[in-house]
Amino acid sequence: MKKRQRAGFYFILPWLIGLIVFTAFPMLAAAYISLTDWDIVGNAKFVGLDNFKYVFRSEDFIKSLWVTVRYAVLAVPLIIATSLTMAVMVSKNYKGMRIFRVIYYMPAIVSGVAVAIVFKWILDPSYGLINGVLAFFHIKGPDWLYDPNWVLPSYLIMAIWGAGGSLLTYLAALKDIPQDLYDAAMIDGANTWKKVKYITIPLMTPIIFYNLVLGIIAAFRKFTDAYVLGGAGKEGNFYMVYLYEEAFGHYRMGYATALAWILFVIILLLTILVNWTKKYWVYSE
Amino acid sequence: MKRSIILWIVLLLVLGMLNGCSKKANSNKNTFTFATWAAGTELEEFQAVIDKVNEEAAGEYKINVLSIPSDYYVKISTKIAAKNSPDFFWLTQELISKYAKMGALADITEQFKKSNSLTPDMYYEGVLASAEYNGSYWGLPWIANPIIVFYNKTMFDALGIECPSATDDWTWEEFIDICRQISGKEYRGNKVYGTIIDGWPNIETFIWAGGGDIIAKDGETVILASEEAKKGMSYLQTIVEEGLSPRYAEVASLGDNNVWFEKQRVAMFFGGVQDNFETKIDKMDESEKFEIGYAPMPVCDDGSPWSFDWTASTVMAKSLEGNDLAYKALEAVTKAFFEWKIVPPVKGSLNNVIEINPKKEAAMETIAYIMDYARSANYIPEWSDINDKLWYNLYVSLLNDASFDYRSQMDEIQAYSQDLISKRKSK
Repeated sequence: MKKRQRAGFYFILPWLIGLIVFTAFPMLAAAYISLTDWDIVGNAKFVGLDNFKYVFRSEDFIKSLWVTVRYAVLAVPLIIATSLTMAVMVSKNYKGMRIFRVIYYMPAIVSGVAVAIVFKWILDPSYGLINGVLAFFHIKGPDWLYDPNWVLPSYLIMAIWGAGGSLLTYLAALKDIPQDLYDAAMIDGANTWKKVKYITIPLMTPIIFYNLVLGIIAAFRKFTDAYVLGGAGKEGNFYMVYLYEEAFGHYRMGYATALAWILFVIILLLTILVNWTKKYWVYSE
Repeated sequence: MKRSIILWIVLLLVLGMLNGCSKKANSNKNTFTFATWAAGTELEEFQAVIDKVNEEAAGEYKINVLSIPSDYYVKISTKIAAKNSPDFFWLTQELISKYAKMGALADITEQFKKSNSLTPDMYYEGVLASAEYNGSYWGLPWIANPIIVFYNKTMFDALGIECPSATDDWTWEEFIDICRQISGKEYRGNKVYGTIIDGWPNIETFIWAGGGDIIAKDGETVILASEEAKKGMSYLQTIVEEGLSPRYAEVASLGDNNVWFEKQRVAMFFGGVQDNFETKIDKMDESEKFEIGYAPMPVCDDGSPWSFDWTASTVMAKSLEGNDLAYKALEAVTKAFFEWKIVPPVKGSLNNVIEINPKKEAAMETIAYIMDYARSANYIPEWSDINDKLWYNLYVSLLNDASFDYRSQMDEIQAYSQDLISKRKSK
């Protein structure tokens, strides 16, 4: 190895060590642990695929997966639609628009626990903000997190509130769309809707794709607010909350690790699937 | 390149050797780590207790404090997994059997029984049972917090309702009857309720009320589906059905359940004797203040008095099993806790309660009465699974819907729990 190459190697060595110690080794260890019965203390007992077999017989697993999938199916498109709409709105250079950009982006910088606590009040059935407004119009609001039928809508409201997180990426992409295209369309007599449909949305598809992939991953890894708020009838028992409880509530590390691997496979398959659809709807030059 | 790889290997080997050496040194150590969930003022008080114990040990041993104010059990279990368990740590009663079965705790039975200064017979029997599993003792209880009924005496007087006695037995029917007399009445401009049930008090309160239980004393038989247990749950159903407590979904609107009592919206509150309503009331404006009365828990249907007790024990790491110096330190620190926290779980120490918190003087009659009947549930290693079902499938379901078929659910949870125990035994 040449001196110059060696220097390069030393520069990446800290990262390489980090990768081996904190990523590669834990993944290998997790692969082994998922095949064991391990309660944290003492030696792990090898049980082969028992944990994986048990997973699909567990009602709680099915329930948590169902809660998470339903949330993902509804929340991801909602977040994309909301943040894209917000981005289009705040991309205009009207006076004072910067303030709105800051306001819409702000949820992205607030801690998940703080958001959960605030929403606990907003969604309170008796004195919450939403039911307070509904009461003003003589409408009796639902029990939100205390009613199994309203737990999912509660989390969707929270998701939409935090949709500004991807605003920056959409804004950057919007700024990249050449003005000539809009000018040409205008000369051709295109109205606003046609400009959005034939110019803005197609040229935004790469960033929508990026946010779709990240959104799916985030939806399946939903934890903080669900852990803090929960939800009646186990409707707030998202996959990651279930996994966490299995690991640190019931000390079934082997089983919890198997759950983590299953989650990894689910996310991987969905990402591959979304990636496969890319050729049908994502614009590329 | 080769040289650098060799360097790294040597470095790793040296680190490994150092680690091995440090483990060897642990067997003769006289410095112990004590993990606590205490934080803030409580941590300062805890440190003062430990300092005093260290001073009295005069160099024979030394205890260092490790504060874990958040995610306590996650961090404790992770440390145990990393073979870096704290030497002593606090453990709530529900987890004693689980940690003991996992092999994380030292069996202290022999040292406890032959001790000259702190023996099993000095403890309240029901409280000590919380540190027992499989015929052995796994920790020394340092605190007891049995449930009593706090009631708003001022409200009772204003509404013309006879107050319960501080020590005489009353039944669940009588308790519910008082709730009926109070609920729906106007008091200080608000509609008030008899009591508040929102997942607290814990479900044992109701299961025991009818004379039933969850796990039999043998630790292997689930008896949740007994008629006595179901009768107990029927009291909860009545309270929910008749609106004698605020709706479950409504409770959080004032914050925690105790706030309803402090704001005089409910007349009776099931609280641990530690609950410091007295201090809170002292700090209120004159117009907000009220007088608190105390009563024991209503008796079981068979007439036997009881109180659910939450107890924590100080446990010792498995690696210190049989270590007499470590046990000596554990014993010294436990005895020091008796002068710090209420209620000390040993007989003859009730005077400490007033010394620790003089404001509890008015409650002493009830506390003294209830301590003889205070007990925890019979926790087994599968408790976390069973408790999940009891909480989500039974308690919360009934709180949300008074018409919920709790009887069938209790049958189902019994079958589920019995199956869990059978699986453990067959392993």
